[in-house]
Amino acid sequence: MMKLTSLAAAIAVTSMLTACGGGSSSSSTDADDAQATAVINVANVSKVLETNADIALATYSDAVDTAIELQTALQTFRENPTEENFVAAKTAWLVAREPYGQTEVYRFRLSPIDSTDYSSEDGPEGDINAWPLGEALIDYVQTNDTDFGTDQVGVTANAAGINGGGALTAAGAEDQSNNIIGNTSIDISADLLANTATADDEHDVIAGYHAIEFLLWGQDLNNDGETTDGTDRDEAVKANTATNYAEGGDRPLSDLAEGYSETDTYDSSNLSNRRHKFMEMAVQKLIDDLTTVRDGWAEGASYRTAFTTISTEDEAKQKLAEILTGMGTLSEGELAGERMQIAFSSNSQEDEHSCFSDNTHRDIWLDAEGVSNSYYGEYAGYDSTLDGTDDATARAVSGYGIDDYLADAGLTELASDMEAALTTTQTAYVAIDTLARAGTPFDVQIIEATSSEPAYDAIKALNAQSSVIADVAEALEIDAEVIDGDATECNTEDPTAEC
Amino acid sequence: MASTSGCSDTEVPPPDPAEARPGGDATTSIIPFPALDKVTPNLPDDERPQFYAGRALAHQPWIKAPTITDARDGLGPIYNARGCLACHIRGGKSRMPDDSETPLFGPLVRMSRVLADPQLMAAAANSHAGVIPDPVYGDQLQTQSIALLHQLRQASPVAIAEQQQVAPEAYAYVKWHEQAFVYPDGRQITLRKPELDLRYVAYGEFDAATRFSLRNAPPIHGMGLLELIPQADLEALADPDDADGDGISGRQNRVWDARSQRWQAGRFGHKANRSNMDMIVASAFANDIGISNPLFPFQPCTEQQPLCQKQRNGNNSQGLELPDNLLRLVTNFTRNLGVPTRRNVDNADVRKGRPFFYTSGCAACHQPGYTTAASSAQPHLGNQRIWPYTDLLLHDMGPELADGRPDFAASGSEWRTAPLWGTGLMGQVNGSKQYLHDGRASSIEEAILWHGGEALAARQRFTHLSAAERRYLIQFVESL
Repeated sequence: MMKLTSLAAAIAVTSMLTACGGGSSSSSTDADDAQATAVINVANVSKVLETNADIALATYSDAVDTAIELQTALQTFRENPTEENFVAAKTAWLVAREPYGQTEVYRFRLSPIDSTDYSSEDGPEGDINAWPLGEALIDYVQTNDTDFGTDQVGVTANAAGINGGGALTAAGAEDQSNNIIGNTSIDISADLLANTATADDEHDVIAGYHAIEFLLWGQDLNNDGETTDGTDRDEAVKANTATNYAEGGDRPLSDLAEGYSETDTYDSSNLSNRRHKFMEMAVQKLIDDLTTVRDGWAEGASYRTAFTTISTEDEAKQKLAEILTGMGTLSEGELAGERMQIAFSSNSQEDEHSCFSDNTHRDIWLDAEGVSNSYYGEYAGYDSTLDGTDDATARAVSGYGIDDYLADAGLTELASDMEAALTTTQTAYVAIDTLARAGTPFDVQIIEATSSEPAYDAIKALNAQSSVIADVAEALEIDAEVIDGDATECNTEDPTAEC
Repeated sequence: MASTSGCSDTEVPPPDPAEARPGGDATTSIIPFPALDKVTPNLPDDERPQFYAGRALAHQPWIKAPTITDARDGLGPIYNARGCLACHIRGGKSRMPDDSETPLFGPLVRMSRVLADPQLMAAAANSHAGVIPDPVYGDQLQTQSIALLHQLRQASPVAIAEQQQVAPEAYAYVKWHEQAFVYPDGRQITLRKPELDLRYVAYGEFDAATRFSLRNAPPIHGMGLLELIPQADLEALADPDDADGDGISGRQNRVWDARSQRWQAGRFGHKANRSNMDMIVASAFANDIGISNPLFPFQPCTEQQPLCQKQRNGNNSQGLELPDNLLRLVTNFTRNLGVPTRRNVDNADVRKGRPFFYTSGCAACHQPGYTTAASSAQPHLGNQRIWPYTDLLLHDMGPELADGRPDFAASGSEWRTAPLWGTGLMGQVNGSKQYLHDGRASSIEEAILWHGGEALAARQRFTHLSAAERRYLIQFVESL
């Protein structure tokens, strides 16, 4: 019986594609309509939507809480800038990424992360997770002669002739007059970050997680503490023999050794104070932005209500399309393509998401885990000890997932295809994570860019997974029905009216 | 050959079911959110990762050198935007500000000198640049710079220049001037025309002969298909001397192609001043983002802007910020942007509007269909029946639309016919329905009413239709 239903669905999909091919006939339309009744069960879609919203609320709530813990750790470090508190602040940053990474599947659909009014693309995502960071705008970065040529005057006034035209160091930082830390006439304030965060051309590259990451870790330099000269990519990153290997950048404690507190007040001319101040402002903005997003998913919030309230098949398909768009776009375009393939194929191993902390292996894992969370309707919590196991489970969700929906719709073959694809992806990202934890961070993993590397497998698997996600959309006839709904109901009597 | 061969441009060919899929097998669905930056559905699976890698370079912001991300630095020193899709929003157009206090971002200003000496102008048309740039500002106004004070919006370009930092060339604004248009049936509509307003000009006077041209960034979908329209088909449509006496000439621009090192026919750009995707993407990288590359191996600074020239660049060992393999990633990304499927093909009004499109003469320049050439590089884009509604030719559009600024062989009143596929989706793609080269038209109707020159007769036929007939025609265009 299951097999027959599945076959009928497959036939319906075929006829739908024919209709899309321009050969629309009344018979295939009838078949689509008949099948639509079978594959879309509004009550079951409602259950998928509720679970999906529950997971969003749980992950964003955990993201807010871990950001607040990061804020606390930064405050402790600021008030008592010891090596121990420095390490604790970095750890708190890494922990904060664990729930946030699992939320990225909620992007690409005008949900609160990407849109403040659920129609325009103006959400706080760029402020939260802006990348690549414009670190040269924030604080000193190291340069070398061979990279840019000695005849070049640096982009920052401090790069001109400091240390013989070579690397900029903390010792030379008092001259770094054209970055935010070094130019002490610039007021490091909430306004500063807000001003640059939402501007037209995404010059929001001084806010969010990665700005704090840069100030905690600094540049991820090579074995000699130098930058690459752009010719030998193998030398761009630390090799296995480096003592500081797989730990990202090496910002010295001296950069942050002077903090401020109730007794030692903030001194806007002190560079160490300014770095702490920047992080203080950035983490507060991060918390505020994440809170806005979280609140959009809260029970009774207008976005959540709109997302979970459906009564017709068309509305059900629209909402399923939104979930599947998030899953498919994150899998294929964003994670496999924009974040991994560009680094892999262009031999640009520095071009990684969390380049300062060498935490890119977790970005990959967590993004991919978010996709499977949406599919299975499960959220296991996050890893608060960074040992590879989700142990903060107070908000864990176990609900009605797309897997349950497909099973109840009799689409069992499709469900097993999807599970196989997700498992293949998981195998690949676990392998990336294992290698990184054993001392080979993502940037080193892709130096050779060969098909035997887990990054290659992960890219392939994520793309294959997105094809199955598209198959799910087709099986649910999302293409067939939702396309034309409100596309061109224009009132041309009034050409200026919205349509 | 063009689809209209065998009948005149005002005859109505019978509807072809293939019109529903304007990009052939490269036609994309538009759900759940309309966008023009979607991959062609027939791109082979094993090429998709490269597509998205190219998308990353087109999408993610470029940043100022030096940084740790070697493949993404070298922004500027002066520029218009940090990434391709910042202006080509979701693959669509940029947005022209409606008020006079919002600085231009996305739309940009091209400029060059127009001299009285015809020999000098002919020499310019035959130069590799195609224009005589302003001696100080070059041939494009860059309204942003890497200076910290600009990044933080803490100082104007003039103040930044006074502090001896590299300043944006100016901030650009538009003032709108309204004028009425009255149909023969008495119905009135308000049109608006932009006037460019440059403020905080930071590098001194422009040359007295410099002319400015305000440009909205056009949509970028389906360009790989346009590139594969057989050259013979376009040549057959060209009629530079109006030999057939229909009042419509249409000619190909003649432009320099740095990839092939030859003169070629122009196909892309508002004045068809670029021959192929390599050239238009590479020139945009150099001029819009300030990213040097093999075809445009320079920073966007003139010799009169020494501070700009001295800025740190993001060059690799070949002396380029964007090496050829990465440039090709982006051009292939652009080539493989699908064309949205038709909407409402079977709607009664749309069906009624289709004949009026032809009988009014729109199809004379907005040529409906072609079959793309076979392609060994992009086999999936070859041999496709496509419906872009353009002849990719230059037409004199009359004094109202003229910018008075020649570009290669294009005159100051000539513009390339804009493709119409996807045009009805523009508002949904980025919230803006601004049409024509400078975004002055906020609807298809307004766009038609601005058509002059060779298109004047077609406009007059349109204005003499009944109100209902005009509405049908517009609904047809919006369905494309």
